[in-house]
Amino acid sequence: MRNTLLVASREYAENARTKGFWIGILIFPVMLVGVIFVTKWLAEDATPTRHYIVVDQTGSYSDKVDSRMDLRYAAGAFKDFQGWMQKNLKEEFKSNAKVDFESIPPINMKDFDADQFLEEMMAKNKDTLDRALHPGGFDDLVEEARPQLVDEAGDFESPRRKFLRVPLPDDLSETATPKEIAEHLKPYLKGDKSLEVDGRNVDLFALVIIPSDIDKQFEPKDTVQAIADGVKALAGFEPPKVQYWSTNLADTDLPSILSSTLDREMRHSQMVARGMDPNLVAEVQKMKIQVKKLDPDKEEGKEEVSQADVLRENAPIGFVYILWISIMQVASMLLNNTIEEKSNRIIEVLLSSVTSWELMAGKLLGIAAIGITILMCWLASAGGLLLYWSSPEATMITSLLDVIFDDTLLPAFIFYFLGGYLIYAGIFLAIGSLCNTIKEAQNFMGPVMMIMIVPLLTMAFIPKDPHGTLATVLSWIPIYTPFVMMNRAAADPPAFDLYGTSILMIFSIIGVLWMCGKIFRAGILRTGQPPRFMEMLRWLRPGSDK
Amino acid sequence: MSELALEVRGVTKMYGDFKAVDNVTIEVPKGSIYGFLGPNGAGKTTTIRMILDIVQPTTGTITLLGADSALKVRDRIGYLPEEKGLYKKMKAWAIVAYFAALKGVDRKTAKVRAYELLERYGLKEFANSKIETLSKGMGQKVQVLASIAHKPEFVILDEPFSGLDPVNQQVMEDVIRDLAHEGSTIIFSTHVMSHAERICDRILLIAKGQKIFDGTIPEAQRTIPNRVRVDTDAEQALLSELPGVLSVSPTIEENRAGAWDLNLIDGADPQELLQTCFDRGLSLRGFDHKEPTLHDVFVHMVGDEAKEAVKR
Repeated sequence: MRNTLLVASREYAENARTKGFWIGILIFPVMLVGVIFVTKWLAEDATPTRHYIVVDQTGSYSDKVDSRMDLRYAAGAFKDFQGWMQKNLKEEFKSNAKVDFESIPPINMKDFDADQFLEEMMAKNKDTLDRALHPGGFDDLVEEARPQLVDEAGDFESPRRKFLRVPLPDDLSETATPKEIAEHLKPYLKGDKSLEVDGRNVDLFALVIIPSDIDKQFEPKDTVQAIADGVKALAGFEPPKVQYWSTNLADTDLPSILSSTLDREMRHSQMVARGMDPNLVAEVQKMKIQVKKLDPDKEEGKEEVSQADVLRENAPIGFVYILWISIMQVASMLLNNTIEEKSNRIIEVLLSSVTSWELMAGKLLGIAAIGITILMCWLASAGGLLLYWSSPEATMITSLLDVIFDDTLLPAFIFYFLGGYLIYAGIFLAIGSLCNTIKEAQNFMGPVMMIMIVPLLTMAFIPKDPHGTLATVLSWIPIYTPFVMMNRAAADPPAFDLYGTSILMIFSIIGVLWMCGKIFRAGILRTGQPPRFMEMLRWLRPGSDK
Repeated sequence: MSELALEVRGVTKMYGDFKAVDNVTIEVPKGSIYGFLGPNGAGKTTTIRMILDIVQPTTGTITLLGADSALKVRDRIGYLPEEKGLYKKMKAWAIVAYFAALKGVDRKTAKVRAYELLERYGLKEFANSKIETLSKGMGQKVQVLASIAHKPEFVILDEPFSGLDPVNQQVMEDVIRDLAHEGSTIIFSTHVMSHAERICDRILLIAKGQKIFDGTIPEAQRTIPNRVRVDTDAEQALLSELPGVLSVSPTIEENRAGAWDLNLIDGADPQELLQTCFDRGLSLRGFDHKEPTLHDVFVHMVGDEAKEAVKR
């Protein structure tokens, strides 16, 4: 026991004392935060302004497209402005600012509905909207609010437009055929030529051609016409289509805004043509039947599922991921360590001082302590980060913290961490004892990784069907038990699964450690080639180590 | 006969079909310095590992300090393996103290003793250096100190001299003598005969897993014929006709014509041989009679095997 503790404390000290270890620990939260910010930055700032041309030969769509793009831009600008104000308002004015930015409706850029935004702004904050849509409109607002702002508040900078419509080049007429227009503009689209806009040369991102007969297909038809159209379609005649030309097909923002705007406008005019009242239709379309989600497991009267509940259902995915990462990290630490001792031949001296069991136990213990240290650091940095994150999402953060420090999830996490750690550490330790170099170990690691990856592949699906066949079957495979049961933890798995798999896991741990102990003992002094499988089986026979 | 520190009786070790050690019996008295000599691959390291119960003999028994397994008395044993290695990131003193602590010395004492030893054997200024910054030789000295810091009664050093420069080889000899002076029993293996010759009480010679010789150095010297080295232009035939000469062969060490080794019949007097040479009018440029060295004994006993081993 004394020797085990000595080995464990050395193992811990050696790892915890290196800078690399702490960098390794902190890199995970830093990366996580980094990824969030970088994607945000990429989405908002890193893409250049896209210049596009709309050739509208019907004459009825381009204005609508323009105003829709404007509104979309305005909404983004409002969102920024809102954030800027919140940051710069003096504390005492946070709740009763002169510029009533609270009345700006929540804006979700992902499925932004310009009409709804417009409508809500008109209803609640028309004045602000009118001003903000004009150039420099925010400047006025800022100046007006200045007395309420903190002293160091600078100027609000309106965000850059992401899409900018440019006119056709002078040498091209709007009335040319779509084919001619496309041919003429191809070199611009390919980047061989550039357009001149306000004295600057810019690349053409996209070209949209709306042919003049685009609406014809939607017009109300009599029977004869309908039959004629059917025959035409059979003969291979295609109805006219809007053409969207661009070399960049990955950026779908522009085409999707376009198509939704065109659909809206077309539907609007078709409604009028068919004698329907668009306002009435819009009103009806806004009607919505609310669906309330209820959970029968919850207390009477409080069954309604809240945001925290949803978070709690999904939190195990995060836990599983962290479980997986941390187990992998410490288990490979163990592997490297063992290989180092082996290739340095330190192992021989160690084995003249401690038994192989003591050595193995010491290593397991020392690295387990390292693993717990890592988890504590992550937990602390997560907690710290979330608390520091001052923002309107405060309620979300409290519920997230509640979930993290939940009274069933956290203990489950610790239990499954230890269980998973012992299983995989045992396996890795045995591999380490068989190999002289990391390279040799990689041959073993390949198949092990293939097996280990399974819980990562299934972790997103299991919470959706936490007691389904897949989840149940995987739960009963001991090497997956920690991950899958963690995955199911929030859904209160049946007691039979919960205790049964735990007991099975504990027995498996004992089995794995016993087996690995044998392999460790036999393999640790081996040099040369890793052993063949049959040879390893022989080591497991009773009495083979004596 | 004094009490035995180590008794190896009829030990054989098989690795599959390969006999690494073949029916070896060794008796090491307490307080002696015992040299394990033998060519590469003779089975020295395997024997040592069996003594330490790191590997188990296929047949035979080993009694070390009265116990049937070294593991039972491991706190009283010090071991330096053949292939040296240390944790690269640890400091010299920490590693010495760690190994001492593993052998049951309490941590405080271990630390004090680590500094003492490092100072005593010229490593004081490197006590706080990490192993990776030390030279290979210094690292090896640290490892030797790590293996003896708990003042073991029985010390096994596998090739302690390899990789050391002559000065440090001298230091190593001092370490061994100091240990013996303090009452430890020491086994060390080497293939540098001069070390064994200078510090061993007894030697064991093994080759191909078999014991070839076990005894004191004078005993070893007596196993090979008296030898005279002559330097002459005379024909080989004339030399072999001399009375008392068993055989004649060209000197191995000096690869030139005219240098001969004359192996003498047991009891033949080199003085008489010299006289006969004068009587027969053989012109000698040199006549050299020396007691055979351990080196000669080694080459005589296992020379052919060692060469074979090289060829293989």
